[in-house]
Amino acid sequence: MRRYFRELSVAGALAVVLLALAVFAPAFYQPQPLLSLLTREAPTLVVACGMALVIISRQIDISVGSQFAVCSVCAGLLAAKGMALPLVFACCVAIGGLMGALNGVLVAGLRLPSIVVTLATMVTWREALRWLRQGQFVNLPDGTQWFGLSQRGGQWMLIIAALVILVSLAIATRHLSAGRFIYAVGTDAEAARLAGIRPQLTTFAVFVFMGALVGLAAMMNVVQSPQVDPKSGSGLELKVIAASVVGGVAISGGRGNLWGVFVGVLLLASISPALTHLRVEAYWEKAIQGAIILLAVVADGLRNRKQR
Amino acid sequence: MKRILSLFAIAGLAMLMGCGKASESGGGSGGGAGGKKTTIALMPKSKGNAYFISCKKGADKAAQELGVELLFDGPTDPDPAKQNEIVENWITIGVDAIAVACENREGISTALRKAKSKGIKVITYDADAQPDAREFFVNQATPEGIGFTLMDEAARLCNNEGEFAIITASLTAANMIEWQKYIEARRADKYPNMKMIALRPCDDLKDKAQSEATALLSANPNLKCSMAICSPAVPGAAEAVKQAGKTGKVKVLGLGLPNENKRYVHEGVTDSVILWNTEDLGYLTIVAADALAKGTLKAGDKTIKAGALGEFQIEGDSILLGKPFIFNKENIDKFDF
Amino acid sequence: MNTERHGFKAILLRHETILLFVVLLEWLYFNSVGPRFGSVDNTFDVMRHSVEIGLLALAMTPIILTGGIDLSVGSLLGLCAILFGKFWRDMGMPIPLAMVCTIGVGALAGGLNASLITWLRLPPLIVTLGTFSLFRGLAEAITRGVDTFTNFPASFIFLGQERWLGIPAQAPIFILVAVGIWLLVHHMTFGRSFRAIGFAPEGTRYAGISVERRLAMVYVLAGIIAAIAAIIYTARLGQAKADAGMGYELYAITAVVLGGTSIFGGIGSVHGTLLGVAAIAILNNGLVHARQPREVAGMLTGLLLILALTSSILPKMLATWRARRQTSIAKTPITT
Repeated sequence: MRRYFRELSVAGALAVVLLALAVFAPAFYQPQPLLSLLTREAPTLVVACGMALVIISRQIDISVGSQFAVCSVCAGLLAAKGMALPLVFACCVAIGGLMGALNGVLVAGLRLPSIVVTLATMVTWREALRWLRQGQFVNLPDGTQWFGLSQRGGQWMLIIAALVILVSLAIATRHLSAGRFIYAVGTDAEAARLAGIRPQLTTFAVFVFMGALVGLAAMMNVVQSPQVDPKSGSGLELKVIAASVVGGVAISGGRGNLWGVFVGVLLLASISPALTHLRVEAYWEKAIQGAIILLAVVADGLRNRKQR
Repeated sequence: MKRILSLFAIAGLAMLMGCGKASESGGGSGGGAGGKKTTIALMPKSKGNAYFISCKKGADKAAQELGVELLFDGPTDPDPAKQNEIVENWITIGVDAIAVACENREGISTALRKAKSKGIKVITYDADAQPDAREFFVNQATPEGIGFTLMDEAARLCNNEGEFAIITASLTAANMIEWQKYIEARRADKYPNMKMIALRPCDDLKDKAQSEATALLSANPNLKCSMAICSPAVPGAAEAVKQAGKTGKVKVLGLGLPNENKRYVHEGVTDSVILWNTEDLGYLTIVAADALAKGTLKAGDKTIKAGALGEFQIEGDSILLGKPFIFNKENIDKFDF
Repeated sequence: MNTERHGFKAILLRHETILLFVVLLEWLYFNSVGPRFGSVDNTFDVMRHSVEIGLLALAMTPIILTGGIDLSVGSLLGLCAILFGKFWRDMGMPIPLAMVCTIGVGALAGGLNASLITWLRLPPLIVTLGTFSLFRGLAEAITRGVDTFTNFPASFIFLGQERWLGIPAQAPIFILVAVGIWLLVHHMTFGRSFRAIGFAPEGTRYAGISVERRLAMVYVLAGIIAAIAAIIYTARLGQAKADAGMGYELYAITAVVLGGTSIFGGIGSVHGTLLGVAAIAILNNGLVHARQPREVAGMLTGLLLILALTSSILPKMLATWRARRQTSIAKTPITT
């Protein structure tokens, strides 16, 4: 109980929001719109899982939004060229992995600070994409949407895929040695090295994995509509970092788990529709979002202070 | 080691210069900048926006026909401060005419007045500055015209009664705030039975517009129409309506590019897309800027000739492109931009 | 082994020197491409355009030196700008009083960051990520996005647009702040402790320095400087709106890091930051003269950042690599 205080308190906050909705705006719980909203957040959840791993390994990746856009546009263009969907899918993940690998080489290989490296790659990818595509939408061929399944089928598939990724990663980080390596490196890289872990290799792998997850998430987003917006994913980095942190992942590395991240994603994702349902004016949305992030960390800070 | 280091630094710089030069040969339009060629600088609200790219297509055509050099640049994000900086840079470079789509009416006017005082001809297109900061405004549609057309069309689709919601780019976008004012004025004046129930920003992102529209639909079961007033929001809202299975029950209309909306219009999800001919807008802007720089267009003129497009009326200091155009199932395939 | 080297070569290898070299080369290149690039007018334009981001970068330098970060400065600039407008237009304050109040608000907002970071010992990245949304959100909520403050008196616009004694009117303020922070960081024991905190906060505490109080000070200072930047921004544009300064925090951080300040804290200099600001400002301005699209400026900034970082760590990398090779050579006969 005490160990999961943070996760439980965030879950409590989420419960309050959901309860408020149940009382004041029960329309929120109609199955179809809810399914659509959850599907919209499935890619965010996948990226947030990756981000949590990156932060646990004591790094950060603010280039995910740009990577997401690059992957989306590449996937769109390949699909429009008539490439088979599974192949597009593989390419998209590979492109994400490659961009992640570039971050990984710079961070783990050259030992540059990740926040600066990914700041640089964020700007570079974004501007390069803008330069080459000039903001034009990519129209996808028929049958790309929902992988050619029915809408409901596609939505369930995406949600289940995101949950499978979440659960398998949550289990892997707890029980697989590779997962434990990430915590070890994030807690103390030098100690991890002395224990026989190769911290740089682990860091590199985490970044590649992050990139691949971004590619996957981009694909999960592309199939949700018949067009690709080259600006998709902008602001994603802040959203997932906030979700991770609200969910209890310590920015100083080594602490946090994916269940917390899951609750964090749900909490942040529910704010905007909740405000719409509760008929709060949009002008307050950003302020409320900021306040929630602050409240989450302040609650944690106060508790730590008491314990000191 | 030092040698390696300095080599590295030099290599980096060489790369920097190489990049600059390489892209210069590719990107520079017009070429042969030495002579007395007229230079016209054209600024979009932001780069990487399909709407302005199609304006540029028309502008390029005009520039080629008139033999003027065209500079096209703008901020990468819609940032009023960056627009001012680029205008001030152009003043220093010494271009002959500047044509701007203003992100922010008051902010840009400060820089445009400065350009005017330096003898540079200034016109605005798409979104106007303060009248004393420019000579002419190429008016594709007045905010009044856009607001009224949107509201009229929405009312027509909903039979003059019911709830509607607006999806905008951001809460701070100046032109959209202006349109909302006229939408509301028209509603109060002519359609008292229509009710505006929500305004949501989508950050100019299709994906976010889709999420917002989905929430709006489930929160407001009586919603009859969603009005998207920024171009990525139209397909976003349409996708949301389609996914909610409310095709036909909830009308979708908005300001957008035909190419981005064809699919939904044919499926019957989106009912009308409102826009003007963006290529003509770019073309006319350059023609007017060139005429102004050459002195053939003066205050008080009543018409302007624009090559193949024929003659356009001038009303006061605004050059009229014509009324906003409503794209629907019947005519949308005739347009490709 | 680098630390042992002194004299001319050491200075030549300093990050700041390399960056100065880059700035000069940029200048020479753009001067050869754009005929008006080197003119006095344009030089002043570069200055005027980089003052706000320059101020934010100056404010960010001590923060990053202590190992912290402040993502909220851009949002705070927006909030201060519209509050300045509110004080002047809606509350009828005279401009000077409105300025003072705005700076007060900046200090308060900085104080909010500071108290959360020091009192609750929360990571600065997270606290300021929260206030990043909060400040921008407040600005939007107060103006409802719509309200734009404009028609400021000409005497105020003077501050952003005109020249005073031949130089842009905002330049003296910038120089004053720059010199102030430079003295604080490099020539006062008080300010030197920032770097100590960045190196080892616990060690600094044991050395008898009140770490919390000093950390609080840098964030409050950042708030004040963001408010000053907001006033200058308003004067330069002649208007204040809730979208002012969006994304400026990243430009400021980029400039600081490009200037050789380590994002982990402890290492860095104010003059490095100034060079970083100059490098980015000249690039942005020069590319317009070279008639390059704006996107290229962004891409080159990213590349420049990675190059600068790599060049600064390369000597260290080579040294460790060489040392490792030597030890492994030395070890080989023993182990086999």
